[in-house]
Amino acid sequence: MTQYKKPNVKVLKAKKMASSFISTILKLGVCIMFAFPFFWMISTSFKTYAESLQFPPTLWPEDFTLQAYITVFEKLELGSYLMNSIILVVANTALMVVIMVPAAYVFAKYEFKGKDFMFSILMVAFMVPTCLTFISIFRMFAHANMLNSLWPQILPCICNAYGIFLLRQNFMQIPEELIESARLDEANEWQIITKIMLPMAKSTMATIIFLSVTGTWNSYFWPLVMTISDEYRPLTIAIEKLKGLESGLVWPNVMAGNLVLLLPVIVVFLFASKKIIASMAYRGVK
Amino acid sequence: MGEIVFKNICKSFGDTKVIENLDLTIKDGEFTVLVGASGCGKTTLLRMIAGIGPATSGELYIDGEEVTDIPPGKRGIAMVFQNYAIYPTMTVRGNIEFGLKNKKIPKSERDRLIADAAEVVGLTPYLNRMPSQLSGGQRQRVALARAMVKTPSVFLLDEPLSNLDAKLRVAMRTELIELHHRLKTTFVYVTHDQTEAMSMADTIILMDGGKIQQMAAPEVIYNDPNNIFTAQFIGTPPMNVHKMRDDVNYIGYRPEKIQIFRDKPTDCTYVRKVKVITREMLGSETLYKLQILSDAENEKEPIMSKSLDMSFAVDEEVYIGVPKEDLYYFDANKMRIRETDMLERLYCTTEGDK
Ligand SMILES: Nc1ncnc2c1ncn2[C@@H]1O[C@H](COP(=O)(O)OP(=O)(O)OP(=O)(O)O)[C@@H](O)[C@H]1O
Ligand SMILES: [Mg+2]
Repeated sequence: MTQYKKPNVKVLKAKKMASSFISTILKLGVCIMFAFPFFWMISTSFKTYAESLQFPPTLWPEDFTLQAYITVFEKLELGSYLMNSIILVVANTALMVVIMVPAAYVFAKYEFKGKDFMFSILMVAFMVPTCLTFISIFRMFAHANMLNSLWPQILPCICNAYGIFLLRQNFMQIPEELIESARLDEANEWQIITKIMLPMAKSTMATIIFLSVTGTWNSYFWPLVMTISDEYRPLTIAIEKLKGLESGLVWPNVMAGNLVLLLPVIVVFLFASKKIIASMAYRGVK
Repeated sequence: MGEIVFKNICKSFGDTKVIENLDLTIKDGEFTVLVGASGCGKTTLLRMIAGIGPATSGELYIDGEEVTDIPPGKRGIAMVFQNYAIYPTMTVRGNIEFGLKNKKIPKSERDRLIADAAEVVGLTPYLNRMPSQLSGGQRQRVALARAMVKTPSVFLLDEPLSNLDAKLRVAMRTELIELHHRLKTTFVYVTHDQTEAMSMADTIILMDGGKIQQMAAPEVIYNDPNNIFTAQFIGTPPMNVHKMRDDVNYIGYRPEKIQIFRDKPTDCTYVRKVKVITREMLGSETLYKLQILSDAENEKEPIMSKSLDMSFAVDEEVYIGVPKEDLYYFDANKMRIRETDMLERLYCTTEGDK
């Protein structure tokens, strides 16, 4: 008979503790790496100009001031920029959903001639970097006389190839029988999408919408190259102007402006984070 | 009202022909069971009736009406899918209600119908649960209730009991039979379990490779099979079949019709001396595997016998006998020969003994 060695409980416990300690340290390290720039931004935005230039830098303002925020709101007319940003976020996201959902449904559940070809075109579009196409798109809108409007920032952005791809993958996992069953229940295509498919793809939808909202809100390059007057520029570009607000680069002003820009994104994330993480994790295991 | 008529129906997926030139009439109000091995086209047939997997060619009539252009929802059909296909994001009530809502049935009427259906399948306490909180058997009942509330003229059930445990399956079987008695509508029930087919059906349709092998009442299928396929599909263990001495035709006899003797019998048409290879106790019956003691090539395959007598031992040499009326003959194409006089003479009593 084999004699089993009794495991040494103390050694095991110590090993377990050591490994959990190390993992905690690593996690903390990662958190600090991501959080520190953020913290730095907050801290700097409350500093005086002089303190922001001080070396060695102070971690937290010694001379706490709201001056930077006041400057930003007074000297920049944020109102119209903010309005543009909001319009763009709402319009882009809404139109994107309107296009994406039926497209994903058709690509996932219908058979028609040229389907594979169309889908591969979509995927190519998804992979071509915008820096290659923006000039021709700009010229298109120039020819269409639309540069003096928000359209150049909306129309090119509402076909979200990545979103269609994600949602299609999700739809494809939904068994055919559910749809057939709904057809036997006299549901029309619209009801099948809204009552059967979308409720089963909630978290994917939340992710895509979140990415679209933040992406539009944060976009800088596209509005920069697609606009010729301040009237149609969003908040991100206004922030760029912070650098030239007072003579020289005033860091507290820049940081305060950035925080104003960031706030909505953080709010959205706090609301949607659970769903987003769930959907990402779901795809991770699959 | 729900007679289903297939006229010269073909169905192919790409280049593979699954069903060819099928003619079939499923009688109104009957409990018809479609049975056959996996992949023989049972689900395909149901899907054609439902209109969710239309035929490639041919005509399909439901209640005398050509239905090719009628959408699935308007055919007066309810289907229970092989995997239930319950809407996972709706409650039990939501699942049952979905079809009614789409039919624009008023709320009060809907509530009454749902309550009735839930009562019948015993789901009343679970109406507000999500499907993920139900057991397999309960989900099965949701699928049934969902089909029932629509008061269809045709019920299509695709192996609805295949995922249930043995006990629940027997219970649900009885419930389904009762449901049929109550509703008196056409049921088309798919299974690959021949016991289920035998116990539930008014009419059995036995399919193989997209073709109907035989369509008849269970007792006819058992007692009067049209061909070797039917003879061997129904009954466990399957009918013993081997080539006859003329090397053209086949002879067959059911394991349960074999009588075993220690002394050579005189009153049986078919008599062979055999050796017991294995013995398997089933409880009330005993299953013997027997080797015919003969040099003839056609009798090399062991035969099975099911007997009430458990006294025969392994390696014991005994006689088997089969009465004339329990012998079946098939021709070279494996079709039944019903004119048997000549064959019986050809294949007389005790030849083949050592
Ligand atoms: N969508 C499809 N594309 C290609 N071939 C298919 C398709 N659906 C079914 N088949 C083929 O058709 C044949 C019949 O399939 P069907 O689903 O009707 O079998 P079945 O009798 O229901 O089997 P089971 O008892 O396993 O459910 C099979 O050989 C199958 O491979
Ligand atoms: Mg099947």
